[in-house]
Amino acid sequence: MLKKDDLIIFGFVIILIAASFIGVSLYKSSGANTNKIAVIIKDNEEIKRIDIDAVSEPMEIAVSGDYSNIILVEKGRIRFKDAGCPDRVCVNTGWLTEKGDMAVCLPNRTMIKIEGQSDNVDIVTY
Amino acid sequence: MNNVKKTVLLGLFVSQALILSLIESWISIPTPVPGVKLGLANIITVIAIIFFGFREAVSVVIVRCVLSSIFGGGGWMLFLFSVTGGVLSAVVMSVLFKSGNNKFSITGISIAGAISHNIGQILIAALLMKDLAVAVVLPVLLISGCIMGFFVGLVSSFLENALRKTKIFE
Repeated sequence: MLKKDDLIIFGFVIILIAASFIGVSLYKSSGANTNKIAVIIKDNEEIKRIDIDAVSEPMEIAVSGDYSNIILVEKGRIRFKDAGCPDRVCVNTGWLTEKGDMAVCLPNRTMIKIEGQSDNVDIVTY
Repeated sequence: MNNVKKTVLLGLFVSQALILSLIESWISIPTPVPGVKLGLANIITVIAIIFFGFREAVSVVIVRCVLSSIFGGGGWMLFLFSVTGGVLSAVVMSVLFKSGNNKFSITGISIAGAISHNIGQILIAALLMKDLAVAVVLPVLLISGCIMGFFVGLVSSFLENALRKTKIFE
């Protein structure tokens, strides 16, 4: 079923996988290791920045657009709770808990990612 | 093969690819990242490359993506997302199939195609979102792509043998 020259393809694939693992672990370990800041981006513009470690009560954020997104924030975690798009990849991503985690709703061009601490943070407490 | 026969066969390919992507949307695979798919429609791309060639395979992919966007919804974003992966995968597989002079197995070519599909989708997502952070799912996608590409390749080579016996493509 396989041929000898397939090894060239496999070698290339293994290099790609290794490179992607190294790249992602470098990205996740970069930055200050302080509070986790969730950034919500819609149409390439940052619409909200939340210190999720400082959230005491769960809250929901609605994002409108071609399709709708409902984002749920709890202490230390954030997720897409519901979406009006057909593929619902964002909802299936589940909770984001660690720095570097991200979820994206491509149809609505909405993205949530968790970053390390930086300036200009709205500390949201209810 | 005359043009009418070719059109009919390529039309059949498009409808089969659509059915396969519909079936795979019913199957959810438990993984740590979303977006992991079986890539069943890639079977049709591989078969189109073997029996017709690059242009026909890319046409089948594009028509499939247009129709599945119309039927399935998701707008321009999802269309661009699926068409970029599909076309890149078809390009890579055609190059390996043609310039490889039979050096590579269908399974090897299919693995390369599956991985190109994943990379293409991450690239277009990063471009649309203007953020490379979407690439954090790439390691998991590449590994799942290898596994799915292997099985898609096996199915495609069985299908190739079966189709050669029917002499439909002569």
